[in-house]
Amino acid sequence: MSAETLDTGFARESETGVFARAGVLRRLARDRAAALAGLVLSGIVLAALFAPWVAPYDPYFTDLTKVMRPPDAEHWFGTDNTGRDILSRVIFGTRNTLILGLVGVIVGGLIGGIMGIFATYYRRLDGWIMRLVDIMLAFPAILIGLAVAAIFGAGLSAVAIALVVATVPAVAREARGAAMGVMGQDFMEAGRAVGVSDGALIWRYLTLNCISTIFVFLTLRFGQIILTGSALGFLGMGAQPPTAELGMMAAQGRDFLFMAPHIATIPSCVIFVIVLAANLLGDAFRDVFDPRLQT
Amino acid sequence: MGQQIVHRLLISIPALVGVLFLCFCLLQVVPADPAMIIAGPDAKAETIAAIRQELGLDRSIPVQFFEYILRVLRGDLGRSIISNRMVSEELAMTIGPTIELMLGAMLIAVPIGLALGTLAAVNRGSLTDRIIMACSVAGVSMPVFFIGLILIQFVGFKWALLPFTGRTGPVWDGGLPSLILPALTLGAVLIGPIARLTRTAVLEVLGADFVRTARAKGLRERVVIIHHALRNAMIPVVTLIGLQAAFLLGGAVVTETMFSWPGVGRLAVGAIVSSDFPTAQGAIMILAIAFLTINLLVDVLYVYLDPRVQRR
Repeated sequence: MSAETLDTGFARESETGVFARAGVLRRLARDRAAALAGLVLSGIVLAALFAPWVAPYDPYFTDLTKVMRPPDAEHWFGTDNTGRDILSRVIFGTRNTLILGLVGVIVGGLIGGIMGIFATYYRRLDGWIMRLVDIMLAFPAILIGLAVAAIFGAGLSAVAIALVVATVPAVAREARGAAMGVMGQDFMEAGRAVGVSDGALIWRYLTLNCISTIFVFLTLRFGQIILTGSALGFLGMGAQPPTAELGMMAAQGRDFLFMAPHIATIPSCVIFVIVLAANLLGDAFRDVFDPRLQT
Repeated sequence: MGQQIVHRLLISIPALVGVLFLCFCLLQVVPADPAMIIAGPDAKAETIAAIRQELGLDRSIPVQFFEYILRVLRGDLGRSIISNRMVSEELAMTIGPTIELMLGAMLIAVPIGLALGTLAAVNRGSLTDRIIMACSVAGVSMPVFFIGLILIQFVGFKWALLPFTGRTGPVWDGGLPSLILPALTLGAVLIGPIARLTRTAVLEVLGADFVRTARAKGLRERVVIIHHALRNAMIPVVTLIGLQAAFLLGGAVVTETMFSWPGVGRLAVGAIVSSDFPTAQGAIMILAIAFLTINLLVDVLYVYLDPRVQRR
């Protein structure tokens, strides 16, 4: 019996490749909102990735003869208060904003996932890890950002640290919940009975069976992380001028809101589009991978 | 119920100590020496030494932490480097406006969110449902400052309907107009999640036996929805509002900065920008404690709304 049970736990390994499940892409494409969101997000990611080639102007080049121009044929998104091309700055700014979001999701997801899974596997650690998680949850993301900026000084790395720290406890909880479910399965017991090592049990049996839940959770969190990152940028805790970052650009434009509303509005709109697309895509991923999470 | 609340209070103590410890660490790991910052750039070595002694910086870390807790319990959070006022005084002045702003935002978001969510659930699958849900996804995806920028630009500046900078006074003393735009900005972020969860919760409850019984008794549909369905659907919604507290607090920091609202969030941001560490530490601590308190209140409300929780 144990060999069969072991197989069921083990066989899942092949399914855990994110797009490995049959027809995931096809099912995603059938959801029109998600397909459109995916398309828009891919476009934005590509533009950000190839920013130096895509941006029409140098994002740092100031031209005081073209200050605060509204959008026109020459400058599609207009120019800012020092005559810099806003489209180019938005493209470079999106790059920084996306990198911050990805660092938050990937590093935070990794640390949080390990914490949650270890808490489940090693019961002795559970109390300690979960208490730490509770304390971390007592600090809302923005507060963590403020605290980190207070310690290390404002900058992109301060925001990145804050986003990681803010992601860890939520992922740890989610991973623990998912791992608890897997721990109760027969194949875990069977694996232990036939003497599979702790490392193999944790990685092959526990982690690989939890990955899709953690992945869905992270895609759902991505939008929120981008919002938090740009809010910290807006508060001046993130990128420092002249570096372009969408939240900070919105904050800079606020001073000229009544003369040239486009300076603040355009970066804000871009954040909105990114987050909206990420949320729609996250919802679609959830429906495909983990319909139980549906609200 | 009393026992439940005491139990919940005891559980929050480790979190509170954790918060205090992290705030304490904030001053320990700051690269600059607090004594040197307080003394100023041209201070003599003796002055710095005296300040170090006064602040207890020459003692061991555990002793310093213990003393820090005692000081916090006494309400002594140090002195602001910039304004030279007691940090506790600064916090006392700013906490009121922050609470006012958060309550105002909740007063806007909760009724609208509940109404929209219920409306969407009752008309499930209709155009109304789809429009409400689309707006809710859009609302969740919008940066707080974007909503604020739009409101400032149109309602505040172009149409000159409401003030958009500062606070003219408490709500009961003619301050209401200055509260509306900040509260609307902060509240708008919460409407989406509340509407979405209310819809799910109401849909779940509408299929329950007691709703069928209520209908079978011949009660009017409005009574069934409001008294039977919505009351029971409130339980997950209240939990969500608790979870949104982090959101609310973060949003409050951004909103206060945007509207020059004299709250704790703006105090914290200003203190960090000007390297006023004692004030930053105090403000961050108060915000974290506020967050713990909101979660505690939500748990208590939860027990009140769902008597079954008591028996568990």
